[in-house]
Amino acid sequence: MAKLTFTVNGTRRTVDAAAGARLIDVLRDGLGLTGTKPGCREGTCGSCTVLVDGRAVRTCITPAAGVAGKRVTTIEGLATGAKLHPLQQAFLDQEAYQCGYCTPGMILGAAGLIARNASPGEQAVRQALDGHLCRCGSQPRIVQAVRAAAEVMRRG
Amino acid sequence: MADLTLLVEYKRREFLKVLASGASLAVPVELQGAETRVHVRRAADGRIDAFTGKIDMGQGLRTLLSQCVANELGVPVEEVRLVMGDTDLTPDDGGTWASLTTPETVPAVRKDAAAVRGGPLREPKEWTALGKPQPNLNGRDIVTGAYTYNSDVKVDGMWHGVVLRPAEYRAKLVSADGQGVVREGDFAGVCAPTLAEARALAGKAKAEWAHEPLPALDKMIAAFKAEGKPPVENNQVRYPPLIRRGDAEKALATAAQRKSLTFTLAPIAHAALEPRSAIASFGDDGRLTIRCGKQAPFVVRAEVAKAMGMKESDVRIIVDMPGGGFGCKQRSDVEVEAARLAKASGKAVRVEWSRTEEFVWSYARPAALIETETGVDASGKIASWRQRNYNAGAPGLRPPYDFADHSNEFWATRAPLRQGSYRSLAATGNNFARESTIDEWAAALNRDPLEYRLAHIADPRLKSALEMAAQRFGYKGRKAGVGLACNLEKDGRMALFVECAMEPFRILRMTCVADFGAALNPSNLQNQVQGAIIMGIGGALWERLEFDSTKQLTTRLTNYRVPRFTDVPVMDVHIVDRREITPAGAGEAGITLTAPALAAAIFSLTGKRTMSMPMLA
Ligand code: FES
Ligand code: FES
Repeated sequence: MAKLTFTVNGTRRTVDAAAGARLIDVLRDGLGLTGTKPGCREGTCGSCTVLVDGRAVRTCITPAAGVAGKRVTTIEGLATGAKLHPLQQAFLDQEAYQCGYCTPGMILGAAGLIARNASPGEQAVRQALDGHLCRCGSQPRIVQAVRAAAEVMRRG
Repeated sequence: MADLTLLVEYKRREFLKVLASGASLAVPVELQGAETRVHVRRAADGRIDAFTGKIDMGQGLRTLLSQCVANELGVPVEEVRLVMGDTDLTPDDGGTWASLTTPETVPAVRKDAAAVRGGPLREPKEWTALGKPQPNLNGRDIVTGAYTYNSDVKVDGMWHGVVLRPAEYRAKLVSADGQGVVREGDFAGVCAPTLAEARALAGKAKAEWAHEPLPALDKMIAAFKAEGKPPVENNQVRYPPLIRRGDAEKALATAAQRKSLTFTLAPIAHAALEPRSAIASFGDDGRLTIRCGKQAPFVVRAEVAKAMGMKESDVRIIVDMPGGGFGCKQRSDVEVEAARLAKASGKAVRVEWSRTEEFVWSYARPAALIETETGVDASGKIASWRQRNYNAGAPGLRPPYDFADHSNEFWATRAPLRQGSYRSLAATGNNFARESTIDEWAAALNRDPLEYRLAHIADPRLKSALEMAAQRFGYKGRKAGVGLACNLEKDGRMALFVECAMEPFRILRMTCVADFGAALNPSNLQNQVQGAIIMGIGGALWERLEFDSTKQLTTRLTNYRVPRFTDVPVMDVHIVDRREITPAGAGEAGITLTAPALAAAIFSLTGKRTMSMPMLA
C-alpha cells in the first residue's frame, strides 16, 4: 500500500492504493464513488470514464499512481450543488439512456470532447464517443443530448 | 420523489441491517406482503404503496407502473411508492421477460389501483398519467451517478468470492484442493475479506477438470437437422411450436414455382454492460438473503432454494435494478455461487463475474438452422409456406401474411452449447428467414418488395404501418441500397426501411413506424423500439461467439463487435399511438426487423442473398 494524493471533485484526498491499483478501484472502493462504472475492465467500453485534468480517461486501464497531484472529476462532481451540469441536464431532457449504466462514462466522455471542441458536429460526437458502448441503443438520443449541451455551454 | 428516495433508502438501510446483524428481518406492517400479496394498497399514512415482482432493467418499468397507479388513483406519479423485485415483499407476478409487463402487469396493477379507489378502470379519455410522455423516474439519479446497481452495493463485513473455472467450455470437476476451497458438485470457489486475497487463494488452488470436446459450429448447426424432433401441436402455450393452416404440403406439391432456402444463425452473447453480481448472507435464523441484479427474482429464489437444499420461504431475493439484461439475467448462477461461499464462510459474500465469465459462463442466444419451403401460384401470390426452425425456438413463427396454406414449425434439438433467453429469442431468426424469403420471391417475380408484401397482408394496421413508413422514408420503389421488413410480433405492428451503402458497408438511415396500440409512455416507447433496432445491428452484421474444439474463444468485449456510435445511422422511429387499442409489449420486437431489412438492402446492392447471421463476419 502506498499513499496517493489527488484532487477529486474539487477536494484534495489521500487514499491507500495497492501497488498496481487501477484508478477505477481507488474511486469505487477507496472513495465510494460508485458512479464510475466497470463494464469491461479492459478499456473497450468507456463506462468507467472520468476527467483527469479535463481530459477523458478510462479508469480501468489507468494506474492510480498516475493521477497523483492531478484533478479528477467523476460524475458525482459534475453538478454545482443542485444545479446539474448542462450535459447532465441535456441527458435528462432527452432521456438519453435506458438502463443508465453507460451514462456516467458517456457524460464524462462528452465533457472531454466539449473541452476540446466547443461546437462538435454530429460526426465529431459520434467519432469521439465511438469507444463508448451503449448496449441499450440510446446512441441517437445521446448524440442529440451532447450537441444540445454544447450549445447551452457556448451560450454560457 | 422525496418519498420514493426515502423508500429506496429505507430498503437499503434495512438490508444493511439484515446482512450486518444476521438478525431476521422484521418487515414493517405497511410494507409486508399480505397472504395474497397485492399490487397496490393505501398505506397507513394515506400514501399509495405499490408492489411488483417485475424489475426495471432500462425498459422504464418503474415509471410505467407508477404511471398506472397514479392514473387510476389520481395522484402524481412521483407519489407512488413502488417496491420492485423483492420476494419477501412483492407478489410473484412473473419474471420480467417476453414483453409481458404491458399486456399482463399493466392491467393487473391498474385493476388493483382502481379497486383501491373503488371505481372502474379509467377510460382512455380520462387518463391523467398514462398516454403522455412521463420522464423516467430514475433519470436524475442516472445522470448524477447516484443510481445504485448491484455492482455498487457493499454491506458491512462483506467478503469477496472467486469461482474456479475450467479452461474448457464443457467440463466436469474432478478434484479441487487448496486453502479455503469450497466444493459442491461442479462448483469450486474461494472467498476472503478482500478481492485481492480471494484472487490470490484462487491462484494457488488446484482444480482438475474432465472436459468434453465441442463440435465445430457448422457441424453443430448441421446436426440440428438430424436430431430435430417434429413439433406436437399445442395452441395452449405462449409460443405454439406448430402454427398451421390448410395443408402446406399439398399446396407445395401443386405450386406453380417453388423455392427452398436454408438460413443459419450463429450463437451470440447478450453483453449487457453491467456484469452480474450478487451478495449472499445467512441470518442467525438460517434464512438466506441475496441481493442481485436479476430479471426474475422468484425464479432465482426457486433455483437457489433447490441448489442449497432449502425451502423457498427461507430464501429472500432482493433485486437491484440491472444495468441491462436482454434475457441474460433470468436464471440463477452468481447467486448460487455467492450462497455456497456464504454458507461455507458464515460471512456475507459478494461474487461479481468478470467480462470473460459473462461471455463464457452465461448462456448464448441459440444458434439456429431455419428452412423455408415455399411456393407461388400462377399469379405470383404465395400459396404455400412451410418454415422450420431447428433449435432456436418458436417465438416469431406466426407469419404476418395471409398465406392460404402454411405450416410454421419449431423442431427442438439438443445443443452442445449453453443457450437460453435473449431479447425476442427465436423471433429474430424466424423473421430473418421469412422476410428474406418474401424478398427473394419479390425479386424473382420482379415485383416491388413493398407492393409484394402489401399484397399478402390482411391486417389493416400492419398495412398502414408499412405505408406510413414508406412515406416517411421517401420510398420510391426498388433502389440499390434500400431494404425493408415488417412484422406483427406479440400484437405489435412494425415496418422498417433502411438505406445502406457498400465499400465499406455502412447503414445510412433507418425509418421505422411502430404501432403497439395505446402508447402509455410515448417517449419511453420510442426509446425502447429504437434501442431494440440498434441492438439488432450487431447480431445482423457481426456478432458471433467463436469456439475451438474445446474452448469458447470469444472472451472479451474487445473481440466481440457490438454496435458503436459510428455504426448507428440517422434514425426516424415513429410511434403510432392508438389510444383506444389495448397496448402490446414493445421491449423486444424492434430487434427482429433489423436483420431482414439489412439483408434486403445488401441483396439490392450485391445481388447476393445473405443466408447467415451475422452477415458480414
Ligand atoms: S470498464 Fe473501463 S473501458 Fe470498459
Ligand atoms: S443506457 Fe444501458 S447501456 Fe446505455
